[in-house]
Amino acid sequence: MERELLLRLEGVGRRYGLRGPWVLRGVDLEIAPGALIRVEGANGTGKSTLLRVLAGLDAPTEGRATGRPRTAYVPERFPAALPFTAAEYLTHLGAVHGLDRPAAADAADEWLERFGAAEYARTPMAELSKGSSQKVAVAQALLAEPQLLVLDEAWTGLDADARDELERVVVERTGAGAAVVFVDHDPRRLTGVPDATYAVVGGALDLRMEKVLSRAATDDPVVLVEGQGPYAAQVPDEIAKLATGVEETASGTHRFTVPEARSDALLRALLGARPPWHVVTVGAESPVPAKAEAEAEAEAEVAAELEVESS
Amino acid sequence: MTALLRYQAALLLRSQRWLPPVILYATFLAIGVQSGQPILDSLGYSAAALLPVAAWLVRICATNEPPAARSCTGAAAGPGRAHLACVLVALAAATLLGTAATLFVTVISDWTSTDHQTRIAALPAGIAGLLATLACALLGTAVGALTNWPLLRSPGRAVPALLLGALLALVVSGSPAHAAITALVEGSQRATIPVPVLSLAAALLTAAAIALACALTTRRSA
Repeated sequence: MERELLLRLEGVGRRYGLRGPWVLRGVDLEIAPGALIRVEGANGTGKSTLLRVLAGLDAPTEGRATGRPRTAYVPERFPAALPFTAAEYLTHLGAVHGLDRPAAADAADEWLERFGAAEYARTPMAELSKGSSQKVAVAQALLAEPQLLVLDEAWTGLDADARDELERVVVERTGAGAAVVFVDHDPRRLTGVPDATYAVVGGALDLRMEKVLSRAATDDPVVLVEGQGPYAAQVPDEIAKLATGVEETASGTHRFTVPEARSDALLRALLGARPPWHVVTVGAESPVPAKAEAEAEAEAEVAAELEVESS
Repeated sequence: MTALLRYQAALLLRSQRWLPPVILYATFLAIGVQSGQPILDSLGYSAAALLPVAAWLVRICATNEPPAARSCTGAAAGPGRAHLACVLVALAAATLLGTAATLFVTVISDWTSTDHQTRIAALPAGIAGLLATLACALLGTAVGALTNWPLLRSPGRAVPALLLGALLALVVSGSPAHAAITALVEGSQRATIPVPVLSLAAALLTAAAIALACALTTRRSA
């Protein structure tokens, strides 16, 4: 069964001007709900152009782009030469994203607070520091829970806490079914989390890495979360998707193995499920390597089975 | 679209970049229109002066957002719709300004023909002036839409092209703005109130220009 795609690029090429050189050529890419895609490449290879095409800002010169999900875009540098305060700008943009104005104002405050910029809500944008304006740009994109989030080096200029928060938000959004495409020059950014990594080489797109199922890299720290569901409840799909392993430890109690990057998203999903789950324990991975290995093997078998089934 | 229009209108108001064209227009009027002058002549003058002002307002709206902010808005609403909102806000501002000027000119002018011999009814004259003003606001908007981003990106080309375009729109004989102003001036000499039906042609031309500019937003680089 084919999942419904958010966006599909077929043979997309892009050049600027009538006779300009091709920046992109022959790009095929499918973006499914919940996908986390990393795009790599040296400077000037066309990564940003690819992201602009994905965000609908640039039309392909040749080829086709089908599907237009609700999109939000975060540019690399966000100059704050706008005659608004941060909260006013975000309220306007929230409304442009389709929220009503009170909801947009609330979302603006909430996102500024999450990125540690709540104190700047009433500051004119022109007086914001580079990092704080970048936080406004990031908040702008998250206001209305977009279906497709396009991040062009969005982490640049953010402080450490905000960088970590943005990583958590990205995992959360993909957990909620949104697709995220990002470019970042830090190779450690969201290590092991992306479902696929592409490199733009000579205007073409190379698949560098793809996960069959969302497995975390084996050396990544994982968190064990024990949760108790409502009577006779199954583990909801969106929760199972975040975890790399689910094990029923007692009647109604499940233990989830989850990469550290996704642990907050998993907890949020558990507590936010309807009816909500009870979180019994949260801990680091048990220091019994043999058992962990056995689990990993078992998981690999499950993965192989699933693969056979799905094909 | 309402949210986009509101955002662009707030940008224009808050940026205070609307001040120079409004002052320029006020200066035009102060120099060219005095109380006691024949009404249709003065209305023709105030309509003509609005055309470059409308084009300038489009330039202000189209350059108000830095490219990065424009990308954020464009991703959320579609770049074409975002640009359409820019141009429509500029057109609305020009129309508002022109309407106020028409009212003012109608009130202070002498309600007679050029030779002050024949009386001219104020209300129909004012309506004719309003239509001519609308034609000039529309055509100025078209000039602005065609001489700014996304068609012309560097200010070195955009500004001279805008000035030249505004001048041509006023003097070239096929232009609806030229026709509307000429009709007012000739009407004043003959003591008849013209019906500037060419406002409709101006509206069509402007719609085509705006559609072209909006369609090009995803074709040209930021």
